[in-house]
Amino acid sequence: MEALRCDGLCKQYGKIEALSDVSLQIEPGRIVGLLGPNGSGKTTLIKLANGLLTPTSGAISICGVAPGKDSHRLVSYLPERTAIPTWMSAGQLLDFYGDFYEDFRRSAAEEMLSHLGIPLTQRIKQMSKGTREKAQLIMVMSRAAKLYLLDEPIGGVDPATRDYILSTIIGNYNPEAAVVISTHLIADVEKVLDDVVFLDRGRVVLRSSVDEIREEKGMSVDALFREVFKC
Amino acid sequence: MLRKLMKHEFRATARVMGPLYLVLIITALGTNLSVRGMADSGNLFLNLLGAMVAVAFTVAILGVCLMSFALMIQRFHHNLLRDEGYLMFTLPVSVHQQVWSKIIVSAVWFFLTGAAVMLSLMMISLDVGVIQGFFRGLRAFFQAITAYYALNGTAILLELLVLFFVGCAALCLQFYAAMAVGNSFANHKTALSVVFFFVFQFATQFISSLLLSGLDTPGMAQFLANLDFQLRGMAAIHAGIALMTLLTAIDGAVFYVITVYFLKNRLNLE
Repeated sequence: MEALRCDGLCKQYGKIEALSDVSLQIEPGRIVGLLGPNGSGKTTLIKLANGLLTPTSGAISICGVAPGKDSHRLVSYLPERTAIPTWMSAGQLLDFYGDFYEDFRRSAAEEMLSHLGIPLTQRIKQMSKGTREKAQLIMVMSRAAKLYLLDEPIGGVDPATRDYILSTIIGNYNPEAAVVISTHLIADVEKVLDDVVFLDRGRVVLRSSVDEIREEKGMSVDALFREVFKC
Repeated sequence: MLRKLMKHEFRATARVMGPLYLVLIITALGTNLSVRGMADSGNLFLNLLGAMVAVAFTVAILGVCLMSFALMIQRFHHNLLRDEGYLMFTLPVSVHQQVWSKIIVSAVWFFLTGAAVMLSLMMISLDVGVIQGFFRGLRAFFQAITAYYALNGTAILLELLVLFFVGCAALCLQFYAAMAVGNSFANHKTALSVVFFFVFQFATQFISSLLLSGLDTPGMAQFLANLDFQLRGMAAIHAGIALMTLLTAIDGAVFYVITVYFLKNRLNLE
């Protein structure tokens, strides 16, 4: 069964069409880049998959389940902004994730926090912006989920942190799960992707595996992206 | 899952309310000392210190009451409608559980705040005898009305507790509904939340007035006069509390439906 499936998915904000007739399937075990310029509908699609938005028309499901309470057990979501409560300490954050997610691997999270030198007593508000994002990523990747939805995980961070984030994703995701990485920083993520979906103004304009792009078009995903979205 | 939500909600709020209760108790003790000795000591410094402690106690009472109220609003807004909403609304829990956890925890803090203020007021009394006298008087009062009206004190207390909880829930939901609707818009979320709060208040008052004026019609008066029931003594009190609880619950239910609908279908996190 597909980890994520969309059928004729549309989302309108008033008269503005954020997503238009999006149909796609993402299989387990694949790392998929959801690529497109700003405003192309990447975040809207991820929010719809998380039940944070309601589709105007069409359907979306996660492992056959409509977005909601039951699908949240299957999805590990990294929002584009820091959403973890800043009053909590790192230890309390581990308690929080452990309480709500049965698939949360506390020992893995503790090891990653320790590797970063973050004591469990340190409060989130005492951490720098970059460290907060890393702490949030650690929580998300410490779950053995069926689908990881990562919205702009490397946006707004320095190159060294980007490498850390990508290695954390690759080193910790459940191999039987699908990973969707939304970004417009193609060159950085290209090396970890199996498939790509190009979104432009709410429509899917390309769906391909990275190997096909390299073999058939003879160019990198980054080069193809620049060609497709040339201003 | 509701229990877990409440656990973390208590964690988030206790770190604010706990220290405030501590300040309240300390200033109550200080005021007790002030009343006992400092105010009449004839020493200017002690007189001033005593007066300042008494003022601090008054401020602490105000602070703890205002904070329990502000926290009820702040937790809903920050935890569900701002950045933390991305985390909270992707937990494997229902929107109903999210809303109930906020209502129950706020009601508990309202209750504890009332209890803490009463305790602190008892603490400033001169000696234990005054407190003993208060409770003796309360017991005598209950004994007297029990003898006269056959009052079931436990039942009344439970009914009043239910009314208190339903009242707290309805109060919270009036604010939650306004915030849920206001935050469904793309811009001016806070301003619109305030506007919707007053719109809801106006609508509630308007509908209540219409219903009350409906009771004051000849037809309704005739209907009520023809009703063949009689309530005496405690039965009337029980019926009165039940009616108040029911009306408050209906008021709260309307705002609950609005809150849940907007959180489920019109959530608009920034």
